[in-house]
Amino acid sequence: MFTRFRYLQSLGLVALASLLGVPIRALLHPTNLVMLYMAAVVISAFFLGRGPSILASFASVLAFDYFYVDPRLSFTVADTEYLVTFTGLLVVGLVVSGLAARVREQLAALRDREIRVEALNDLGRDLTAAFNLEEMLRAVVSHVSQTLSREVVLLIPRDGMLEQRAATPNFSLEPSELETARWSFENGEAAGIGTDHFPEARARYVPLKTMQGVMGILGVRPQPGGAFLNLAQRQQLEGFAHLAAMAIERARLAEEANRAQVLGEAEKLQTALLNSISHDLRTPLVSIQGVLDTLLEVEEGGENAVVLDQPTRLDMLENAREETARLNRLVENLLDMTRLEAGTLKLRLEPGDLQDVIGSALAHLDEPYRRRPVNVSLAEKLPLIPMDFVLMEQVLVNLLDNAAKYSPPGAPVEINVSCHNNEVLLRISDRGPGIPPDELEHVFDKFHRVTIPGRVKGLGLGLSICKGIVEAHEGRVWAENRAGGGSVFNVALPLEHIKRGIV
Amino acid sequence: MSDLPANILVVDDEKPIRRFLRASLQGHGYTVFEASNGQEAVSEAAGRRPDVIILDLGLPDMDGTEVTRQLREWTSVPIIILSVRNSEGDKIAALDAGADDYLTKPFGIGELLARIRVNLRRAAKSEQDEPVFTHAGLQVDLAHRLVSVNGALVDLTPTEYDLLRLLVHNPGKVLTHRQILHEIWGSAYEAESHLLRVNISNLRHKLEADPNRPEYILTEPGVGYRLGY
Repeated sequence: MFTRFRYLQSLGLVALASLLGVPIRALLHPTNLVMLYMAAVVISAFFLGRGPSILASFASVLAFDYFYVDPRLSFTVADTEYLVTFTGLLVVGLVVSGLAARVREQLAALRDREIRVEALNDLGRDLTAAFNLEEMLRAVVSHVSQTLSREVVLLIPRDGMLEQRAATPNFSLEPSELETARWSFENGEAAGIGTDHFPEARARYVPLKTMQGVMGILGVRPQPGGAFLNLAQRQQLEGFAHLAAMAIERARLAEEANRAQVLGEAEKLQTALLNSISHDLRTPLVSIQGVLDTLLEVEEGGENAVVLDQPTRLDMLENAREETARLNRLVENLLDMTRLEAGTLKLRLEPGDLQDVIGSALAHLDEPYRRRPVNVSLAEKLPLIPMDFVLMEQVLVNLLDNAAKYSPPGAPVEINVSCHNNEVLLRISDRGPGIPPDELEHVFDKFHRVTIPGRVKGLGLGLSICKGIVEAHEGRVWAENRAGGGSVFNVALPLEHIKRGIV
Repeated sequence: MSDLPANILVVDDEKPIRRFLRASLQGHGYTVFEASNGQEAVSEAAGRRPDVIILDLGLPDMDGTEVTRQLREWTSVPIIILSVRNSEGDKIAALDAGADDYLTKPFGIGELLARIRVNLRRAAKSEQDEPVFTHAGLQVDLAHRLVSVNGALVDLTPTEYDLLRLLVHNPGKVLTHRQILHEIWGSAYEAESHLLRVNISNLRHKLEADPNRPEYILTEPGVGYRLGY
C-alpha cells in the first residue's frame, strides 16, 4: 500500500517535471529540458527509494520523448540523435537510483542501530536508578517487551530452583516451557525457538551470563502469528541479556553485603541480650527462689528450723510477687523486641479512641506505679485515629512506667493530648531528674539506660519498643527536657495513614 | 462474699498449672475436676456437669475455640478462657464461639477467683430476669428505659441505651466488638468499629465520674468491652 504510493509519487514528480518544462520550452533546447527529468529521478532516488526512482527513469525517457521531442505528443522520434539523449538519461537515472538507494539504506541501518543503542542506554539508565531487584526485573521486562514487541519472562533462581520473577501480563509459563528455561539455565546456552535445543518450545530462552555464572533466564515469545527475531533484533536481545545479567549480579552482591551487615547487627543484639538476660532476668529469679526456699524451710520445721514472724513472711511473699511481675514485664519486652526486630509485628489497625487507650493503660500499670497521681488532659472532640489498640496501650504503659520509674514517688505525671493539623500529639511529662542533653537522642536506642547511679533496673528496651511501635504507625516519638525540671516524652500520630489509606 | 459451692473443670495441658489451680480453687471451697486435652474436656464436661469451665486455648489435640464450639452445642456453662498475651485473634475467636470471659497468662489467682464469681453469679441470675439492674451507683430500669447514676437521671440516645442494655444483660461478660456491632447495628455493620468507639466514648462521658478511668464500661484491649460488675 505504502510502497505503491511511493511509486505514484515518483510518477507525479515526472509529471511535474513535464509541466514545468511547458513554459520554458520555447526558450531552451530540448536536450536541456532533460535536466528537469534528471532532477525528478534524483529526488525520487533520495526520498522514495530504488524502485520508484527506476520507474521515474523510464517514465522520464517516455515523457521527454512524448512531450518535447519532435514530433511532439507522439512516441515517434524524428531525429535519431535523441536516442543518445534517451540512453544517457536512462543510464544516469539508473546509476543515481542505485547510489541514492544505498545511501538511504545505510542511513536507515544507522538510525536502526542508534535506536537500538538508545534502547540499551535507556535500560541501563533504568537499571542504575532501580531501587531493588524487583524494580530491576520489571525494568528489563518492560524494555525488552517494548523494544522487541514480544511477550517477555524473567526467571531467577531461588534456593537453586529457577522460578518466574517478572513477566509481561500475557506470558504464562507452562511446565514444558519451564523445563526448556531450566535446561538453558543449567547449560548456559540459549534454548527454544530458533535454536538447536527444544526448537518446538513457544519462546526463546537466553541465559543471563556473567563472570560468576548464569544469573537467570530471559525468555521472549513472539506474539501469535508474529515474525521471529531478525539478526539485528537477536543482537539486541543479547545486549539486553548482558545488561540484565550485570544488573542482577550487582543486586545480588548488594543483597549479600546487606545480609552480612544485618547479621552483624543481629549478633550484636544477641550479645547484648545475653548479657542483659544473664543479669536482669536472673535477679528476680534469684529473689523468688530465695523467698521460696526460706519459706519451705520454715514450713518443714525440724532441728534447725528457721523461725520467721508473720509480717516478715508476708513481706517476703510480697517481694516474690513483685519480682514475678518484673520478670513478666521483662519477658514481654523481650518478646515485643524480637517481634519488632524480626518484622513479624503485624498491626491490627482500627479507628481508636486515645482516651480509651489511656484509661486502659492506667488500669494496666505495674503495681508499684498504679497509685501514682496521673493528671490527664485531653483536647475536646479528639478524632478517632488509626491504631493497633493493644500495641498503642503498650506504648503508653511503657512511657508511664518510665515516667513513674524515673521520678520521685508521689510526684504527679501529666498526660496531655492535643490535635495539630494532621496529627495528634500525646505528651507525657514527669518531674524526674530530666535527661542529660547529649542523651536526648539516644533514650530510644536499644539497651540504652540514662545513667543515674544505682537507681533504675531494667533492660532498657521499653522506650525502643515504644519507638518501634509508634514508627510502625507512621508516627514520631521524641524526648525533651521540661521547663522547671523533668522530662517530656512526645508521641505524634498521624490522623490518617497515607500508605495504607486507612482513616 | 461467700463462695457458692460449685464444680469447676480445669482444662490445661500443663500439669503445674492444673496443680496450683486445683490447690487454690479447692482452698476456696470449689470442687475441681481436671482435663489435659480437648477430648477429655468435652467428655468431662458432659459427665461432671461443671458450673464453670476454665479452658486453656493452647491444647495439644484441638484448639480451645473448637472445644468451646463443641460445648456450646449443648451447654451454656460459663467458659473462662486462658491465653497468652498478643493472641487477641485467638481470644476473639473463642469469645465469638461462645466463651464468656478470658484471662491473660500469667494471671493472679485473685483475678481468676473474681472472674469465677462474676460468671457464677451471672449464670445464676440469667434464670430470673430482673427489671432493674443496679451496680455501684449505676441503675438501669429496663422496664421503663430509665438510666441513673448516683440517683441522677441520665439522658441517653436510643443507640447509647441499646448499647448499655446489651452490656447490662451480660454483666461481667466480655463482649467482642463484632458481637456488639452485630447486636446493635446489624450484621452489615460488623466492620464499622468507629460507630462503637464513638458511642462508647459518649456513653462514658455521660455515665463515668472520670471518663479517663472508667469503672462501669471497661475496655478489653483489642477484644471488646465488658460491664464492670
